Amino acid sequence: MKQQAFLEKINPVKDKIYRLALRLLISKEAAEDATQEIIFKLWARKDKLKDYTNVEAFAMTTTKNYCLDELKAKKNNNLRIIHQNYENNSRSLQRELEVKDELYWIDRIVNDLPKQQKIVFQLRDIEQLEFDEILEITKMKPTAIRVALSRARKKIRESLTNKHNYGHKRS
Amino acid sequence: MDIKEVRELLEKYDAGETTLNQESALREYFQHNEVPNDLKSYQLIFAFSEKSREQGMEREMQLPDSATGNRYLWTAIAASIILVIGLFIFQNKPMEMNNNDLGTIQDKEEALQKSMEALKMVSELMNEGKEDLIYLKEFNNTKDKFIKTE
Repeated sequence: MKQQAFLEKINPVKDKIYRLALRLLISKEAAEDATQEIIFKLWARKDKLKDYTNVEAFAMTTTKNYCLDELKAKKNNNLRIIHQNYENNSRSLQRELEVKDELYWIDRIVNDLPKQQKIVFQLRDIEQLEFDEILEITKMKPTAIRVALSRARKKIRESLTNKHNYGHKRS
Repeated sequence: MDIKEVRELLEKYDAGETTLNQESALREYFQHNEVPNDLKSYQLIFAFSEKSREQGMEREMQLPDSATGNRYLWTAIAASIILVIGLFIFQNKPMEMNNNDLGTIQDKEEALQKSMEALKMVSELMNEGKEDLIYLKEFNNTKDKFIKTE
């Protein structure tokens, strides 16, 4: 496969890769590095890529596995790295999207979800993928996906409701 | 879609049982309609997921340049071919015995004379060189002071 053809195939997926990486790694820099790394991986396997009917699912699976590995490595090395970058990311996210305070708040809630719920929510509610695709990417059972999704949605709403009821103070 | 229908769908949404079509219908509804307070949190979630989808990577994506890789590969191949050919040419030359280098002296007497001269010169030089080695005895002298062999 030529570079041009590869780019055409990968470009629509690139931002999805980035968003999932960002969701899991939290830090913008780490997510960008990861995206670059994953695209290299896909490029190295470009000849096999032709055989996959669903390049997107394959790319997302690679992303999920890569980021989970990264997290594992980071946990062993230094937890502080993640935390420090949190601030960076939140500021840039606000600037980037010009989101209202509320949306930024949800972003933090989603980031605090357990990993599986986070991944499922990201793939379903944000990327709007079919259950079949999520199944392929996460290798989870259909019921497990629905349960994780349901929990994530309820948890987010619960956090939002609590915040409004108790008038949470923010700096 | 009326509010009753929306509530029904939201219930399924909470259970993770809505289809993509139903979810986009909900998204659409919340985008364009004012909703009662108890549904505000849903509105925020749908707005959030919609907004998050617009986020993209700012950094330019790079691919390894395959052309440079190949160029280095070919340079390496060319260099090794030249090296091999060079070694082959220069290594083989001294190996070939040239007939002109042998038997330049035809007369036997003269040949003997010349050989003797050459050997004598070699042995003379050899002896000359050996004289310098006499200092090496000093080592033995010193060594014998410490190591008694008998």
